[in-house]
Amino acid sequence: MSRFRILPYGVLVAGCVFAIFPYFLTLLTAFKGPGQLFETAPWEPGLPPSTAAFDRLFASGFGGYLVNTVAVTAAITAGQLLFAVLAAYAFARLSFPGRDVLFWVYLSTLMVPPVVTMIPLYLMMQELGLVDTWAGLMLPTMLGTPYAIFLLRQFFRTIPADLEDAARIDGAGRVRTLLSIVLPLSKPILVTVTTLAVVANWNSFLWPLIITSSEDKRLLSVGIALFKSEIGVDYNAVMAGSLIALAPLLVLFIFFQRFIVRSVAVTGLK
Amino acid sequence: MLKPAPRRGRQAQRQRQTLAGYAMLAPSLVGVLGFLLAPVLIVIVLSLFDWKLLATPEFIGLANYRELFSDSDVWHSFLVTLYYVLICVPGTTILSLLLSLLVNRKLRGMKYFRALLVIPWMATPVAMGLVWTWIFDPGRGALNQFLAVFGIDGPAWLSSSLLAMPSVAAVHIWQFAGYNMLFFLAGLQNIPAALREASALDGASPVAHFFAITLPLLRPTMLFVLITNVIGSFQAFDTIFVMTEGGPGNSTEVATYLIYDEAFRKYDFGYASTISVLLFVVILVVTISQFVYFERRTTYDFS
Repeated sequence: MSRFRILPYGVLVAGCVFAIFPYFLTLLTAFKGPGQLFETAPWEPGLPPSTAAFDRLFASGFGGYLVNTVAVTAAITAGQLLFAVLAAYAFARLSFPGRDVLFWVYLSTLMVPPVVTMIPLYLMMQELGLVDTWAGLMLPTMLGTPYAIFLLRQFFRTIPADLEDAARIDGAGRVRTLLSIVLPLSKPILVTVTTLAVVANWNSFLWPLIITSSEDKRLLSVGIALFKSEIGVDYNAVMAGSLIALAPLLVLFIFFQRFIVRSVAVTGLK
Repeated sequence: MLKPAPRRGRQAQRQRQTLAGYAMLAPSLVGVLGFLLAPVLIVIVLSLFDWKLLATPEFIGLANYRELFSDSDVWHSFLVTLYYVLICVPGTTILSLLLSLLVNRKLRGMKYFRALLVIPWMATPVAMGLVWTWIFDPGRGALNQFLAVFGIDGPAWLSSSLLAMPSVAAVHIWQFAGYNMLFFLAGLQNIPAALREASALDGASPVAHFFAITLPLLRPTMLFVLITNVIGSFQAFDTIFVMTEGGPGNSTEVATYLIYDEAFRKYDFGYASTISVLLFVVILVVTISQFVYFERRTTYDFS
């Protein structure tokens, strides 16, 4: 191998090690006992592995946070997908008065940062009596995001309308055409939108922090953030908690790696 | 196509389509109008009120804004935010551009390298914030232990008001460099290979080719990467919440953190709304100026 090959490989390996190292460290620290934390270097494993940190975590209600996070992520993502597909289809395929104006309104809300809406949203939820409820937690985001609607609409427009016309001549209704013609052809963009939604919903922190207060509605992100104040600096437990938050997305990534890398690149193109 | 339907039939069809269109839009329309647009209007209204928890809201006109402009905490937090943006955006952009040049080569196993570099993007920011807090731990943390191998006595990264901000910003760069690399990679792959051959024939070095040809052709991607990163880092909150809580002192108290603090710890919703309006205006102005700057320059289309 010439040095022209060795150099890029060297830099690549170094970059990948740097990208993965924090995950590796989380894994090692989570399985160390309190004594092992001080006896070993951070990058050495604690032998024998100890699950004491996980026991402490689950005793403090972490199992519930995990269940909540899975359920809330699934529910919000399902809602976002359903309502975004419906809206995108209407924008791409139907013609009705006000369509283009509304599409511009949707696009303009891409510019609205969540920090700006959080105070009014909180006060709205207070008026509706939805503070510290599941509805209050999920309602603001689960009706579809403008970004997903935009990506889906752009994709739907690339599907030849003839295909749908043919199905409609055969007597299929709007919903049938959408389900049996449009969606099967839209798998790549559906993977993209689902990935972005799952990552955003799983990681979401500021809104859950504000709107929920009772422990039975707490999500993982809020749970680990409040750790420091509730348990104190206990790196074993904190890393075990972080591992529980990080691992599910990592596993998803390993399974869908090919699609995710391709689909992220799609979102940058206009 | 079908032969034209009789006039009445067409009108009925149009009505049905309008009805179907609005029915399909209805849920997301509630979301967009109720939970995105209405809050923007409400936050502006709130900023004109003295609105504290349990007290009756009182209209005070522009008094919050007058207070805002003489409030050194607000000025400080916006400067701190700007500092954060000025580390994160160039850091992420340059690193991801360099990475994209590297992973654009045709080497064996490249798709695995690309995938590994993207992984940090999915990390839950609060979880990773805590992991990096552990890495930065002055005594037992991986960074200082690593430096100790070379006989270097590492500093207390997060409790130094000088180093806390660059350390927190490093986490942002670590998290998003690989992700933004994918956008540059897509941009690079749209550039015809013939251009490189042509400039090689003219005797241009790879570096000259990069600055004269590649970089100008990447402008649309550059605009996308810059805008998304600027908007994102102006709103930094999660990692700062777990890593420094705005400290030491107020050296990492970015605008979002200040808004959170005013609204949900001090329950001063009116004043917190005023700060968020200011943040919104700043983000809008910066974003629009980026658009204008890039619009003025020529873009090239090979499609």
